[in-house]
Amino acid sequence: MTSLSVRAVVSAAFVGAAAMAAAAQAQVTITVNGSGGGLAQTITRIYEEPFTRATGIKVRATAPVSLPKLKAMVESGNVEWDMTELGGSDVIEATRHGWLQPVDWSFVDPDGKLPAIARLPNAMVTATFSTVLAYRTDKFPAGKGPASWADFWNVQAFPGPRALQSSPVGNLEFALLADGVAPDKLYPLDVERAFRKLDQIKPHVTVWWTTGAQHVQLLIDGEVVMTSVWNGRITPLRREGKPVAISYQGGALQLSYWGIPKGAKHPKEAMTYMRTRLDPEKGKQFVSEVPYPGFIPGLIELLDPAVARDLPTHPDNVAMQYRFDPQWWAERRAPLTERWNAWLLQ
Amino acid sequence: MTRRRSVQLALMLAPAVALIGLLFLYPLFGILKLSLFNPAFTLESFDKLRSSPVAALVMQRTFLLALTVAVLCFVLGYPIAYFLATMRPRWRAFFLYLILLPFWISVLIRTYTWMVLLGREGLVNGALHGLGITDGPVQMLFTGFAVHLAMVQILMPIMILTCFAAMVEIDPQLVKAARTLGASPWKAFATVFFPMSLGGAAAGAIICFILGLGFYVTPALLGGRRNIMLANLIDFEVHQTLNWSFASVLALVLLAATLVLLGLFRLVAPERRLHG
Repeated sequence: MTSLSVRAVVSAAFVGAAAMAAAAQAQVTITVNGSGGGLAQTITRIYEEPFTRATGIKVRATAPVSLPKLKAMVESGNVEWDMTELGGSDVIEATRHGWLQPVDWSFVDPDGKLPAIARLPNAMVTATFSTVLAYRTDKFPAGKGPASWADFWNVQAFPGPRALQSSPVGNLEFALLADGVAPDKLYPLDVERAFRKLDQIKPHVTVWWTTGAQHVQLLIDGEVVMTSVWNGRITPLRREGKPVAISYQGGALQLSYWGIPKGAKHPKEAMTYMRTRLDPEKGKQFVSEVPYPGFIPGLIELLDPAVARDLPTHPDNVAMQYRFDPQWWAERRAPLTERWNAWLLQ
Repeated sequence: MTRRRSVQLALMLAPAVALIGLLFLYPLFGILKLSLFNPAFTLESFDKLRSSPVAALVMQRTFLLALTVAVLCFVLGYPIAYFLATMRPRWRAFFLYLILLPFWISVLIRTYTWMVLLGREGLVNGALHGLGITDGPVQMLFTGFAVHLAMVQILMPIMILTCFAAMVEIDPQLVKAARTLGASPWKAFATVFFPMSLGGAAAGAIICFILGLGFYVTPALLGGRRNIMLANLIDFEVHQTLNWSFASVLALVLLAATLVLLGLFRLVAPERRLHG
């Protein structure tokens, strides 16, 4: 990048200031960090390529989403990303440590179209997703698959190996739901009760997954008959005709955000790119392929009812899920994760 | 050695020393700093090493696993190296090639291959079921068994090659002499050949042990919840709890263990080999 800018300056000395401005603009590349996988290809096609055509700003996509990488970049002053995706509790932690810079809302959303929930001082909600129960439809009699976390825990009625994420986040909630706690009475979590309930399922969980690609593989390979998953990873599998299904019952409705690291090299261009996520037409195209809607104004009205029915934010699905509380977790994630690890090793 | 020669030598070594200094020693110093300052000087992370039951358990399991794998590599690899060393040269090249072939394939790919073989709907379970040996799938993947199996397979070429290198240097006439003097084949092997090959074999086992200590991908992909090794715990502290100070302490433990073992390696490795 630096050498390119130097070259631009040198050529400008000969050709003139106008040429320099054009060259500089054509050469800006923003690095946007996301969660990768098949999702990244869809984002490239729907958002990145048209954006580059319209503005001349190139987009380089990197993965995966990683709070430690953000920490390393900001603390070392060597910030590679111009923007990164972040989970709910990531945003809280990153804000507390001052790793993000404020979003200029008067530039990104001057008319205030986004609802307040999607506009944080230093992050924008880009997507809503759910961590839900998924299972292999061919391993259970038709229509008799597990439909709730209580079923997930019921190894007599629903036999077979299971998988869960290797993290207390979400799993403590699922255990409490399986133990009969009402979805609106979850927080503050009864940690002791949750671990006691998790003790029961532990011998039946053969794998504790760490990435979204992994849980997909486990289901397809038949390593497990059911697992917790990110809803959007299952939609493409169903489209390919794989025998998998999800249940929104007891799912965790979560938000994912875009934030600009402190010290990012192209914050203005990153915010220009942020604005593309406000376009409902593009949103419609994206959501019909990947069911991760954000709070794009006017999107729901544009959608085919069948597509809308599959979204985590569809009213029927919202009613079955609990609202994940990132604030509760941001304060307790580190100690509970340590405890989780000790528990796993026993 | 003349003065000019030593200047030449120093010049030739300079790039390598600079590279190691810049890419290894400097970051290592950073790790040391990270483990002791947060941001003021503190021994908190070293205290945690003593008090954390997880760290103690993981260290114990890491050493036990690396040891078991090294012993298995020795027990299985030594006879193979012996047959290679005593084989007709033409066949030897062929078998050495068979041993080297998997050695050249990336560890990650070999680990994935085991996933394909050992899965519930994998090749081995399919064969066992097809032959009527088992009624349903046997859980092999995500167990300690899978981790041991894959680690032995990955490290065995190193054991065999180290043993083999030591064995071909043994003068075959010595064993023949023992036989002529009336020793049985077994006695000639046990009192003449084996003691002379032991240095190389021990060196191979120590290399396997050192490499085994640092394994990360194989236990992460093939192991169950109990098969967490030190490298996996470091990764966990870096990525999940963001406790980089403690991660640094764990990394130093791994480094210290490796250095001690390297010292041991120098003791057992045949003198000639070290000095060319």
